[in-house]
This record gives sequence, structure tokens and C-alpha cells, in this order.
Amino acid sequence: MPGVTLKELSKRYGDVGAVQGLSLGVEPGELLALLGPSGCGKTTTLRLVAGFLTPEAGEIWVGERCLSSPAAVVPPERRRMAMIFQSYALWPHMTVAQNVAYGLRFKSGLARAGREARVREMLRVVQLAGYESRYPGELSGGQQQRVAVARALVVEPEILLLDEPLSNLDANLREEMRFEIRRLHEAFAITTLYVTHDQAEAMVISDRIAVLERGRVVQVGAADEIFLRPRTRFVAEFIGRTNVIEGVAESTDALARGGLRLRVAGGLSPGAPAVVSIRPHDIALAPAGASPAGPAPNALRGIVKRASFLGDSVDYQVAIAETDLVLRVVTAAGRRFAAGDAVALTIAPAACVTLGAEGPA
Amino acid sequence: MAEGRIAGRRDTLRFRAVTTSSRLPRKALDRSLPVWVAAALVLLFLMALPLGWLVRVSVSQEGGGATLAHYRAVLADPALRRALGNTLVLAFWVGLASIAIGAPLAWLTARTDLPGKGLLRALVLASFVTPPFLGAFAWVMLAGPNAGLLNTLWRKSTGLDAPLVDIFTMSGLVFVVTLYTFPYVYIMLVNTLALIASDLEEAAAILGAGRLGVALTVTLPLVLPALVSGFILAVLQALALFGSPAILALPAGFHTITTQIWSFFHYPPKIEQAAAFSLPLLLATALLLLVQRRVLGRRGYAAVGGKGGQRRTIALGAWRWPALAAGLAVMACSIVLPYGILAKAALSRAWAQPLTWSNLTLANFTFTFVDYGATQAAIVNTLELGVATATVGAVLVALLAYVATRRLVVGHQAVAFLALAPIVIPGVVLAVALFIAYTRPPFVLYGTLAILFVAYLTKELPTGYAQSDATFRGIPAELEDAGRILGAGRLRILRDVTAPLARSGIIAAWCFIFIGVIRELSASIILFTPATRVMSVVIFDLKEEGQFGAIAVLGLTMLALTFATVALMQRVLGRDMLGARE
Repeated sequence: MPGVTLKELSKRYGDVGAVQGLSLGVEPGELLALLGPSGCGKTTTLRLVAGFLTPEAGEIWVGERCLSSPAAVVPPERRRMAMIFQSYALWPHMTVAQNVAYGLRFKSGLARAGREARVREMLRVVQLAGYESRYPGELSGGQQQRVAVARALVVEPEILLLDEPLSNLDANLREEMRFEIRRLHEAFAITTLYVTHDQAEAMVISDRIAVLERGRVVQVGAADEIFLRPRTRFVAEFIGRTNVIEGVAESTDALARGGLRLRVAGGLSPGAPAVVSIRPHDIALAPAGASPAGPAPNALRGIVKRASFLGDSVDYQVAIAETDLVLRVVTAAGRRFAAGDAVALTIAPAACVTLGAEGPA
Repeated sequence: MAEGRIAGRRDTLRFRAVTTSSRLPRKALDRSLPVWVAAALVLLFLMALPLGWLVRVSVSQEGGGATLAHYRAVLADPALRRALGNTLVLAFWVGLASIAIGAPLAWLTARTDLPGKGLLRALVLASFVTPPFLGAFAWVMLAGPNAGLLNTLWRKSTGLDAPLVDIFTMSGLVFVVTLYTFPYVYIMLVNTLALIASDLEEAAAILGAGRLGVALTVTLPLVLPALVSGFILAVLQALALFGSPAILALPAGFHTITTQIWSFFHYPPKIEQAAAFSLPLLLATALLLLVQRRVLGRRGYAAVGGKGGQRRTIALGAWRWPALAAGLAVMACSIVLPYGILAKAALSRAWAQPLTWSNLTLANFTFTFVDYGATQAAIVNTLELGVATATVGAVLVALLAYVATRRLVVGHQAVAFLALAPIVIPGVVLAVALFIAYTRPPFVLYGTLAILFVAYLTKELPTGYAQSDATFRGIPAELEDAGRILGAGRLRILRDVTAPLARSGIIAAWCFIFIGVIRELSASIILFTPATRVMSVVIFDLKEEGQFGAIAVLGLTMLALTFATVALMQRVLGRDMLGARE
């Protein structure tokens, strides 16, 4: 089972650089999600890996084979990959069984009976046994999705590519299929690149996430790592909600903004502009005047501007006294404040994560 | 017919980002070279060579050198200026009248609870595919000042001597041409109306606009581009038409540009003047199409959210039946009366006499199919040319459209442009150009069926291409990509995926081309020789001999062939050929 290595990959469309010097390694047997907003180059990257596009610069390696370079591109049909498309791309003139069996025609050493057995087995795995002679048009969206998965897995590809495969499903089904895809990945352990713009999907499905911005990888890591220690403002804001505070570093672990002074986790260079991210649920609220429990270096005062009850939590907007800041705060639904209430906020320095400059990691 | 299809599709012809390899590696140049050589050769023979000769001959003078004398001659001649004027009058009124008929009919069938909508739509389709010159013949028999059926009935019932109507006039010509031109407006409009969701109109109504206000402020602006575009198509149609003016204007003693160009070929032929008279027509056509393209190009805002919106039916109330009667009256003039008189003429000894037992005969059929040698040869020629052009054409446009939609070669945009370019050449002008180019070495094709084949292929290329382009756009590139990543090469995918999915679209393109070829008159009338006559030309010749029975038989044969092809096409497409998405 080989891994995939992308080296300094670039691809332009006219004047627009869709992918700009992108480097990335996918470990053997790993499921890596390419996560980013639309237009960040994630689908272009996937199509480069599939061999549908030729890079202007850079190389794509699978194991010991160089599959793409500006000089030569191994065509898609000789890459031993499989791909699942956003539209599923099922052939409407073929039955479910014919769709799934198609890729096996190009595998040598498989007799007809062997092929049929493999197709039946794969349809059983994706819970579509009995649907062999249906046409794609006669299936629901979720069933079509499963056919597409079966068609890709039945050929036992070295590499599996998925291009936003769940975005055409409705919300409930989408959640169900996330676990389904994760289950299949654990069963088959195929090296997989998974393109999505949905952070929750990426977090559930993948081993690691690569966040893309404007054709470059800005951060790679496990879901918790990216969420807890975002490296740039873009990553912090794209993965979950956050409060971003800009100011000037007073010392390596303190940030000043007007009258506000925040102790942070560290890593600042004194005198330079600095940016920190604070997740809304890392801020504690108490009635104004209540004494903080234990040592609290970051104690702020504020007025609740808006409170939204969300069932299991409450979402506040709090205007911080003597500043122009409005912070987003999420607390458990136990204690409630109303708009206009004066509150005290406490923030652990460890929750103030220092963000680096914009741009690639 | 060509123009109608193209225009309907023009908005789809803009280039969309197709996901497969957008910029090609250098190596793709070698791969695309054969495609380019082939396309260049085809277009050289079909367009560049003839049009080049046309321009050259129009400025040639004896003993060499260039001159504008022929242009001066044609523009100075008062008779030719009159022909020019007549053409403009004809085209303008046909354009207006087509709007007046086509627009209400489109609205009635697309948006209201009019009874018999399906029937009306079918009749409009019939008038769309009816060769206009057959309609003109039929109207000669219906409304000729002396023997015309309507005038005979009029005299009999009133005792008056003066005829009720005279078809051999400019207004008669406008009337008959409009009957077979308004479908262009209808198609443009019906397809646009089908896209306008009622929400847009209701959004205006909820803000307080009255019913008339909604129509004027929302609906009309949304369909205006289609309306203007339909007007231009109707004008173009009238400009390029040869058959109806030749049948109706010449006996009335006036010419249009097309009949004038044709008469330049009478002895002694004045080819240089024909060329000089052709170029302004060509330029006018190109200019009008450019305008139409720009009008439709801005249609983005009117191409209104296809899926979400529903279209609610407007209740006509008491107006239902009068509206239906008006619609049927138009279709009676366009279809029922002409087809009826053709059938009557085919079955009677003397077409102007009442259909009694003694007047009933099958002699016209035996005359046409057995005794009169020219017709059999013409039918064979027509079918041969129809099948050959449709087959070569369908394969050619399929290849061109595949190459262009999948961006397989460098400069694929040019492929599409060139395939659509012949649409600016009116049939008569094309014939003059081909005549000049292929009566001289190195390619002497005049006198063979080959020159007709070239003419038909050129003329039908845009229609076929538009059909094919839509076909291949309808097959997402992802379906091909999905097969390739699983191990199939490009050719294998072409066989396993693309071809099966494109099959019905390619058959439809074949049918479009075939229908266009078997009815072609305006180019054939200049390019035929006694050995290479086709059905339309024989029909035209029979008029000189007054053989209306045989004309009717041949005309009905042509209609039968046409409708059989239409039926085949609707079967494979699963919808009618007017193209609305239902």
C-alpha cells in the first residue's frame, strides 16, 4: 500500500493560479481530507492526482512511481486509482451490476465468474444486495452514492480519491454516510484523499486534515490539533467559530489592545503586532462583581448585547468594557444572562492561541 | 429551419468550463494536428474557396485587375434597386407579422389554460417543417385571382366579378411567407416563457402591480430579447427565401434580391453581377445575426432559474374559445387549407373543378411516378443526397462537437465558430459562390451531384452542429472521467460510455440535416443541371408546365418523407423538436 507525495505542485487556469506550489504527503493507508472554501484549489489538486490535469510545475509520486510532472503524465487509466465524484457519475445506460463491474474489465486474471462474485460481494458490503439489475435512475440519492462507492472499491485501487461525495445528500443521510465511509476505510485501509468544504465532515472521516487556502496548504494535522492550535487566522476562523483579537505584543506572553491587556499562551515577539484566537466556549461568564474562582489573570468586564438560547448551550455577544470589542461566548445552558446584564469574563491564558502571519505554513 | 434551431440554442453555445484538461501540454499539439488539417480542408472546400471566388469575381474585370464596376452597375440599375427595396419591404413586414402571430400563440400555448394546446403546438411544428415553396404553390391554387378556389367560391356566392383576394401581390407574398416563418418567433418565445418562473411575476404582483403592470414591467422585459431575436430570425428567413418570391412575386411582376440573383443566371449569364449583388445580402445577414447574438447574449438575466420556479397556468375565462378559434384560423391558413388543396389537386383531373366522381383520378400519381421520367430521377437524387449529406454531416458534426466540448485540441473554440459560420450564408449566395468556385479547374464539380452535396453540407452544418453540441454538453465529462480512472482508455470510453449516450442525439442531428436537404430549393435552383435535378427543382419546373397535379403529388411525397423523419426524431429524442423543456 503506497502513499502519495505532492511536491511543489502548480496549476493555472488562465491568469488564476488554482494550485500554487502545493506540497503534501499522504501516508500509506491514511485518509487525508483536503479542506478549504470553494476556489481554494482542492478539486484541482484532486484532479491533478487523478491525472486528468497536467501540472505546470511540480511532481506527484505514488510510492516509487512518479505519475505526474510537467513533462509527462501517466494517463488516469494507468494509475491504479479509483475516484468517487460529487455527481457520482454513474452511467445511466448501465445497470448497477454493470456499473460496478466496469472497472474489473481492465483487471487481468479475473474470470467472468470471479468478477460476478466480486460485484455481488461488494454490493453486499455497501448494503445493495438485490439491486443488481436496477438502473441508476431508479435509485435514491443515497443508493446511487453507495453504487459509486462500490464501483470504486471493487477494483481494489491503490489510491482512492473522493470529490465532495456527500454534498448532494440531505443532512441526515450525509451524517450517516460519514460514518459509513469511515467504516469502509477502516475495513479496506486504502490510501485516500478526500476533498470537502465541510469541516465537520473532515473531522469525522479523516485521519488528518490539510487546510487549503488559495492553492496552498496552510496547515496539516489531526482534527484536534488543527482545532486547538490553528496556525493562522484563516485556519482558526475556517475550523469552528472563534474570536480573533489583534493587538501589539507587550512581552512574549502578553498582548495589549487599547486599555485591554491579555495574558496568552506565549510565543509572541515583544513590540510586534500580534493576533490571538479565543474559542467562544473557552470564555467563562459570571455575574458582574462575583469574585473569580482562583487566580484569573484575564478578567474582563462586559455587557451582554444579545443572548440566543440554543437548547444545550447559550450563545452570547458580549461588549467588553472600555474597548470596541464584542466577543462571542458560548456557555452551558445552566446559568442564563439576558441582554443588558453586566457580566464578568474570565479567559485562561492557555486558551488564547497565538496565530502566525497569513500565508502558507 | 436551420436558423431557428441555432438561435434557440445560441445561449447554450457559449463556452463553459469543461473540467477535462483545460490547458494542454505541448504534446497535445501533435495529437491535434490531424484534426486541424482535416477541419481546415473541410472548411476550405465548404467555405473559404467558394467565398473567396465570390469576392474575387465580383471585382474582376476583363484583362485582369480589380474594379468596382459591377457594384456600380448593380447599384445604379433602377430595376435592381427596386428588387432591393422590395426585399426590405418583404422582410420587414414578415418580421412584424411573424411577431404578431407567433408571440400571442406562444404565450397562449405556454402559459394559459387554452384548450387544444397540444393540437396547436403540433400544427405549428407542421408549419415549421413545411417547405415554404409548397405553401406558396398551395396558395396559388387557393387565392390565385382567376382560378383560385377561394375566389371561385366568392364569385359563386356573391355573383361579383372581382376576386376576393389576389395572392400575386406584395401583401399576398408577405402573408404566405409569414405563415411559414412565424414558427421561428414562436419557438424562441415558447422556450423563453417556459423558463420564466411564475414567482417572478408573483413577486411583482405581491408588491402591488396589477395584471397589466406585471405583464409590462416583468414579463415583457424578460421576453424582449427573445422577441427581438425572433424578429431578426424571421427577417433573415424572408431575406434568404427564394421559392415563395419566385412563385408569387415574379407573376406579379416584381423581383426580390434572391429571384434577381437567380435571373442573372439566365442566358446570357451575368455572373459578375450576381456576385456583386450577393455580397450585400451576405453582409446584411452577417450583421443581423451579430445583432441577434448580442441581444441574446445579454439574456443571462432572463435565463431565469430553471428548476425551482413553477409555472402557473393563467385562466383565460371567457376568452378561451375565441382565442382557440383565432389560433386555429391561423393554422388553417398555414396547414389545413394548403394541405387540403394539395390533396385535392393530387386526386383530381382538373384541380380547379369540384371533387366529383368523374373528376377523381390516380392519373397524377402514375404520371409522376411512372410516366414522367424526370421525377423518378429527381426522387432518387434527392434521397441519395439526403442520406449522403445527413450521414456525412451527422458524423462530422458529432466529431467536431466532441472535440470542441471536451476541449481536445488547441483552439477548440475556433472549431465551434467555424462549424456555425455557414449560417450567415443565404442559400442563393452559397450557390453563386459554389457555382463560381466549382465550374473551373482544379475542381470542376458543376454538373455532378457532388456540388449539391457540398452546398447541402455547408448549409446544414450549423443546424447539425447545434444539435450535436447540445448532445455532448448533455453528457457530463465526469461520466467519461469515471471510466478512465477505472482503467479504460479514451477510445474505449468513447465506445462504452459516450457513444451509447450520444446515440439518440446523433440520430436527431441526422434527421435535422435530412429534413433540411430534401426541401432545399434556393441553392439547388442555381446548381442543378438536367442530370442532377432534385425534387424541389422538379416541382419548380412543373409550375412552368402548369402540371399542378404532379406538383401536388411530389409535394405530398416530400411532406410524407419529412413527417416520417420528424416522427423518427421525436421518437429517439423523446420530445417534440420545437425544443421546449417540459
